[in-house]
Amino acid sequence: MAAIVEGIGLTKRFGTGDATVVAVDAVDIRIEESELVMLMGDSGCGKTTLISLLGCILTPDDGELRIDGEPIDPVNQDLSVVRHEKIGFVFQLFHLLPYLTALENVMVAMDIARTKTDEAESRATELLTQVGLIDRLHHRPAQLSGGEKQRVSFARALANRPKIIFADEPTANLDSRQSDNLMNLIQELRREYQTTIAIVTHHEGLKENADRVIQMKDGRIVPA
Amino acid sequence: MKTLFLKDMRYRQTRVVLTALSITVLISLILLLGGIMNGMRIQARQYVESTGADIWISAEGSGGAFIGFSMVVEEYMAFLNSARGLTPNSASPLVFAQARPTVRGKSTKAIVVGYKLGQLGGPKQVIAGEGKMFTPSNFEDYRPEDPVPYEVVVDEKMGLEIGEQITLGNEKVKVVGKAESRMFVLDTPLLFMDVRIAQKLLLGNTPHVNMMIAKTDKNEQPGQVSAGLDALETIEARTLKQTLGDIIAYYVDEPMKAVQFLRVMLWLVAGTLIGMITYVTMLEKTQEIGVLKAIGGSNNYVMGLILKQVVLISAVGVILGLILSYVFAAAAPIFVAIHFVESIIVACISFVVCCGSGYLAARKAITVDPMIAFRGEI
Repeated sequence: MAAIVEGIGLTKRFGTGDATVVAVDAVDIRIEESELVMLMGDSGCGKTTLISLLGCILTPDDGELRIDGEPIDPVNQDLSVVRHEKIGFVFQLFHLLPYLTALENVMVAMDIARTKTDEAESRATELLTQVGLIDRLHHRPAQLSGGEKQRVSFARALANRPKIIFADEPTANLDSRQSDNLMNLIQELRREYQTTIAIVTHHEGLKENADRVIQMKDGRIVPA
Repeated sequence: MKTLFLKDMRYRQTRVVLTALSITVLISLILLLGGIMNGMRIQARQYVESTGADIWISAEGSGGAFIGFSMVVEEYMAFLNSARGLTPNSASPLVFAQARPTVRGKSTKAIVVGYKLGQLGGPKQVIAGEGKMFTPSNFEDYRPEDPVPYEVVVDEKMGLEIGEQITLGNEKVKVVGKAESRMFVLDTPLLFMDVRIAQKLLLGNTPHVNMMIAKTDKNEQPGQVSAGLDALETIEARTLKQTLGDIIAYYVDEPMKAVQFLRVMLWLVAGTLIGMITYVTMLEKTQEIGVLKAIGGSNNYVMGLILKQVVLISAVGVILGLILSYVFAAAAPIFVAIHFVESIIVACISFVVCCGSGYLAARKAITVDPMIAFRGEI
């Protein structure tokens, strides 16, 4: 199988001098195409920093990163292009724009990628239908439940047909029923769109949905 | 999604409306202050130009026409009436003094113009059927004992009736005629009377005037005539152009320096206001901006969204300010002259100041770390 994301010796430090914290310490990681990976570990172990590195939000201090087989050059490359072309993000607190409807929140990701409005609207409607929100297209985030917001968030992440979706604690603000529904939806979307998904979670109960669990401790990957 | 920025603005409509309104008020104030100054300049010019005089003469060291006092000396008058380059016998004494007459029991402001009937310095036009001119004094030279009735021709806009009396320098002065309105600076009406009455009522019955005015011969250049007279040690002579410059400097530009300063300050306030509000909005939207960047929004994309808002708010504020300034000008209790071209220039400068300031604040937005999307709530 081809690697969608491959990090070699990825290192990220914060602070200087004695106050330096090594959040990610020489991590080698490989995520295969269509894989559903769970990234687990205690708070502060470096999970979010690692997906930020893999998602081209942070630039590593050391190490190499390849996405979809292409090396990423944080100095000479516009990472925003990599982010909207190849990566989708789902955030713990959903982060939908409050002044946009569900439909527009999905469309905004395609607006960034300069997709034509008609095409964006059609795809956003299709995605929101897929996540079960056909009757909520024109509702604003304030009018949606937590589970619905997270579904919109997944639809937004899928909008530009990314190679990989990074989801940071997507079930942390959902009750167990909503959480189960979301995981079912993730499995469904993965089958439908063949998208690779990496989920950061504390939730041990989600392990069973993963193809592989990556355990982190003190900035390093340890055996699960 | 070309309307993304509009949706954001609608979501924050109270702030947007208040910002635009603040700019509107500031721009209209900037234009209104400019209009007041323009109005003052126009009013300062119109009496001077209406006299038809080419040369304005005052005593050396008096400070100039309209400012200081000069003695009317018989020898000077005789000299001026036969001076080379001046139309013979065109020289005429003129009192131009600020006064506070009591009109219908209320103290008001006015400019008393004392001149010799039939000579330069009188009203441009006396309204037909509205009284007559005042009774002139009998002698060409200064004679304090010469009895002259206290009569005045008033500006038509003062609303006085023929035969009414006003009080000036503790004396009752009878309104005998009305002149076509030609207000001086800040809508100050002109009261035309015989030069002797003006001297009696305002100058303690002394032989002082503010200036002598005269016409040049048809074939003479006022500049050359003025220079020739000015070369004499005892008098200062100015052309119409120089006199206009003096009067505008004395009555408008110098007193209005603070207003000019205020106009610049208002520009700064308008710029600071939009910069500050854009900056505060940026701080409030940090999380949103972080999310937009995290999902692939480039710096230009984020900057574009913010600048579109800044440009729209500034444009609306400036255009409304432009319109409002004309409304204010029409309703103002004094003469306000907003020049269209000037107002367009002011509007453009204001627009640039607001957009520039908004741009500086918006630069904050592109420094937002997309990592922020992993923390906190929008």
